[in-house]
Amino acid sequence: MFSLSLKMSLARKGRLILTSLAIILGTGFLSGTFIFSDTLSRTFDRLFTDVFRDVDAYVRSTNFIEVPFGGEQRAGTPIEALDSVLAVPGVKDATGDIQAFARIIGKDGTPLGSDNGPPTFGGIASASVAGLWNIEDGRLPNGPSEMVMDRSSAEKGDFVVGDTVRVNAQSGSREFTLVGIANYGDISSPGGATFALFDQQTASEFLLKPGFVDAFLIQGDGTMTQEELATAVNAALNPTLKLETLTGAQIAEETKDQIGAVVGFLSTFLTIFSLIALGIGCFVIYNVFSITTAQRLRENALMRAIGASRKQVTTTVIVEALIIGVLGSILGFVVGIGLSRGLSALLAAFGVDIPTSGLAIRGPRIATTIIVGTLVTLFSAVFPALRAGRVPPLAAMRDTAFERIGSRKFRFVIGAVIAVIGVAAHVAAAAGVNDWLLGVGVVCVFAAVIIYGPLIAKPVALMLGAPLARRSVTGAMARQNAARNPRRTAGTVAPVLIGVALVTAFSAFAASVRSEIRSVIGDQFGGDYAISAPQNGFGGLPIALSDEVAALPEVQQATGLGFGTVELDGEGRFVTVINPATASGLVDLNMVQGDQSKLSANGVVVSNNRATTEGWNLGDTLEMKFVDGTVKDLVIEGTFIPNGFFGSYVINREAFAGTTNSLFDSIIYVVMKDGVSEEDARAALGAVSEQRGLGTLQSREEFIDAQADQINQILGLIYGLLALSIVIAVVGIVITLLLSVFERRREIGLLRAVGMTRSQVRFTVVGESVITSMFGAVVGVVLGIGEGLALIGTLADDGIAAFSLPLGSTIVILILAFIIGVIAAVYPARRATRVDIMQAISTT
Amino acid sequence: MTQAAATATAASKIYGSGDSEVRALDGVTIAFEKGKFTAIMGPSGSGKSTLMHCVAGLDSLTSGSVAIGDTQLETLSDKELTTLRREQVGFIFQAFNLIPTLNALENIMLPLSLGGQEGDMQWINTVIDTIGLRDRLEHRPSELSGGQQQRVAVARALASKPSVIFADEPTGNLDSKTGGEVLGFMRRAVSDLGQTIVMVTHDANAASYSDRIVFLKDGKIAGEMTEPNPEKVLDYLKHLGE
Ligand SMILES: Nc1ncnc2c1ncn2[C@@H]1O[C@H](COP(=O)(O)OP(=O)(O)OP(=O)(O)O)[C@@H](O)[C@H]1O
Ligand SMILES: [Mg+2]
Repeated sequence: MFSLSLKMSLARKGRLILTSLAIILGTGFLSGTFIFSDTLSRTFDRLFTDVFRDVDAYVRSTNFIEVPFGGEQRAGTPIEALDSVLAVPGVKDATGDIQAFARIIGKDGTPLGSDNGPPTFGGIASASVAGLWNIEDGRLPNGPSEMVMDRSSAEKGDFVVGDTVRVNAQSGSREFTLVGIANYGDISSPGGATFALFDQQTASEFLLKPGFVDAFLIQGDGTMTQEELATAVNAALNPTLKLETLTGAQIAEETKDQIGAVVGFLSTFLTIFSLIALGIGCFVIYNVFSITTAQRLRENALMRAIGASRKQVTTTVIVEALIIGVLGSILGFVVGIGLSRGLSALLAAFGVDIPTSGLAIRGPRIATTIIVGTLVTLFSAVFPALRAGRVPPLAAMRDTAFERIGSRKFRFVIGAVIAVIGVAAHVAAAAGVNDWLLGVGVVCVFAAVIIYGPLIAKPVALMLGAPLARRSVTGAMARQNAARNPRRTAGTVAPVLIGVALVTAFSAFAASVRSEIRSVIGDQFGGDYAISAPQNGFGGLPIALSDEVAALPEVQQATGLGFGTVELDGEGRFVTVINPATASGLVDLNMVQGDQSKLSANGVVVSNNRATTEGWNLGDTLEMKFVDGTVKDLVIEGTFIPNGFFGSYVINREAFAGTTNSLFDSIIYVVMKDGVSEEDARAALGAVSEQRGLGTLQSREEFIDAQADQINQILGLIYGLLALSIVIAVVGIVITLLLSVFERRREIGLLRAVGMTRSQVRFTVVGESVITSMFGAVVGVVLGIGEGLALIGTLADDGIAAFSLPLGSTIVILILAFIIGVIAAVYPARRATRVDIMQAISTT
Repeated sequence: MTQAAATATAASKIYGSGDSEVRALDGVTIAFEKGKFTAIMGPSGSGKSTLMHCVAGLDSLTSGSVAIGDTQLETLSDKELTTLRREQVGFIFQAFNLIPTLNALENIMLPLSLGGQEGDMQWINTVIDTIGLRDRLEHRPSELSGGQQQRVAVARALASKPSVIFADEPTGNLDSKTGGEVLGFMRRAVSDLGQTIVMVTHDANAASYSDRIVFLKDGKIAGEMTEPNPEKVLDYLKHLGE
């Protein structure tokens, strides 16, 4: 039986390929994700192994704060401790290490690297072999006016040894003489980041805080193991400095783990989208098997009539699924290799530039891809296979493919039950019971819609096709064709529907966030101009810049706004840092109690909600620990209603005074004096900011737009990833149409015989396709808006209040669905017009 | 002789080449008169369907020429042929004559609707009354019996008042009583409504509804008969078989 089934399915190569297409694309994305993240981890693993090759021990501060969303911020290490390290027997050499924010300004005045690109670092270049940098050209920097940069930055900025280079860092903007060009390990620059390197003392005072580095890199003389060396070094450290010593292996491992966490997050994110794509592929495969088993009904019935058992008929379908699953997954893996490159390109287009050197293709990943792909295919084919087995032998005597919709009542009841569960979960999630209920709700609602699909397919297709039908008899036939096999139509529509619903829900969510940002910033920002630092990456505007701006003769008032990381009330948190002396009128906190302009250096303003839930009152104190270990008791001096922008805690920038913590402003708000023209304002502000490579100068409107549009980047990435699901959905439409055209070739021949022109034939196929895609789009948009509403309802307490309808995107989606319908029909329509009249009418 | 609705001149149709060459039509010259009911008979494989398809513009000849009315078909493009079939030719096949998604009336109106025409409603009403299916017009083909389906097919062929209607074994799938009804309607379409019909058949009874029978054998015309009756036809066929 197996070999017979094998023969039977191999005889239908065309269909084999068509069905495989869905699984090829689905597994392709999955394996692409695998290859991409493996390549990434391997690249970083190698890099850090390489970089810490000569580091035997590593000294750093024990003061750190866990940052919300993972990661940590660690206090600096005092340079004074370096001497005691160097004095330890067994230490051959040691040097300070810094990785801080520094931006190299290009010769034309624009900073190297983009705002959204890889980070821009400042660091130390030293003679120590333990140092991470190898000088290629020139020499090491020495003294406060010399620097070295990485080779790829030198190439990008067209710098040569001897040039004068401007660099911005925490402490301001300075000019240096370029004395050398260096390589990081063996490569010109890791991950496209830029590096400005100085001698230890210069780096410390320019990049960090005078007297501090991030850590010490220590090389042993080979007489001790790394563990012995680390123990010896640790023993020599002054305990009051709160330092710890790690072995070289430990720090390399820790660094790899940190990067691994980021790669892991990225790969989880990508895996979610590839699973969505695979899920959509399931529908396509299920649909193809449903259609082909319906078309083969007579053949199967004949086999039953001549004595094949149910099981044997089912087996033939399962064997076919097995072949398709295995072949498709293998091809999918090959496609994945190409897609992994595509993924790098996609992420690069959205500013996540990632180094990849040679693709990492691992056996277990190949196995996983093939197993997952095959299981998915088998799973999708099970129901059609069982249905094929259930065909009565009598059906052999009957005419063409027919399809029964199981029990309508059963379908109706099951759908209703799931829908009710889904809606209930949504309501509970919105009521704040538990956010994961939202996930349950979304899955149930989608499931209910899909279960109802075959029940609503006919009326919906007839309704959507009505305008076409009114046009011409060909339109009427397109409409009837779309409605004639409700289950088939529903199966074809489902993937489109899911894809469109997801896109719409994300658009709705983004539109709401955007309008929220717009109104929040609009409400709170009373200035004329804003100077803002890049939002991602680290670093920002030197704290002194706001004072410099305020002192300009054209400027009426200017205030800086920053974000810091501290441990507050026992947890690492982001706090908003303002300058209360200059903030009034420019940064409006929406105070409930207290006065924001009276916020003292030891005061904190907390959100009204937190104060209520924690039972805090004005005058209570909260313990705040800085990254460097400094602890302060802050007095609650006011409460405010936050709005998604300010977080829950606001402190005075003076609170940082006397600590070694770095503090940047993210934004400086500016009001100009009356009568200063836009031209003069831009010239004056630009001179101290943009022209020095510090931040971006924007008018009020530009700033508000830019802030609101940040969400578009993420949205773009999500769209890009969902695009593959949409492609699979379109492939689904193409396959269904092809199978339908094949099934109806006699009908098409007859139509051609009685006078239907080729273009009319084409029109009916295109019409059917457009009705199908519009079906998916319309229902998907409705569902997506519903889910978007639910999402925002659930997240409302997290600062997003109002739902805004993504009208523009909705219209775009509907137009795209129409175009997709037309495109999907191109090939099937061509096949339809080529139907041989003679063959069609003479086959009996 | 009255004017011809369709003619074939030295029509040959060769399938395949070399050893496997089949001469389905071998120099057939024939004219189908206007307002007459012509039957084509002959043994299986004699080329009846091929002749009909070629004359109707569904298939092309290897050599020779065919014309519908004054229009030579060889020079026409696919589009022109399609229009010609829609407007000048009617078809009735043995089975699968109707589009399953359209109801009876829509099927009848199909060639007219495809051409974007209203049609002559008075004529169409006459046709519908003649075939006697007025109460079934809203029904889908799957809701009609085989005989009713064939009657709808006859009505469709008549609806556009074509120059000529071709029928390939229109009653081949029907029992003799139902077949007789359908043939009766075809007869009336010619006698009462002045239409022209060319019908391929194996059945001597069916052929006897016609005005004239043309006999084919091995792709050639083997003879013809006017004012046929079943006995005469059976006699002739026996003689042809020898
Ligand atoms: N597409 C084709 N390719 C090759 N040979 C063909 C083709 N169509 C018909 N023939 C051959 O041409 C000859 C005439 O066929 P045709 O269908 O015209 O016969 P017919 O008289 O209609 O027969 P029947 O009474 O069985 O329908 C036959 O020998 C047939 O095998
Ligand atoms: Mg024939």
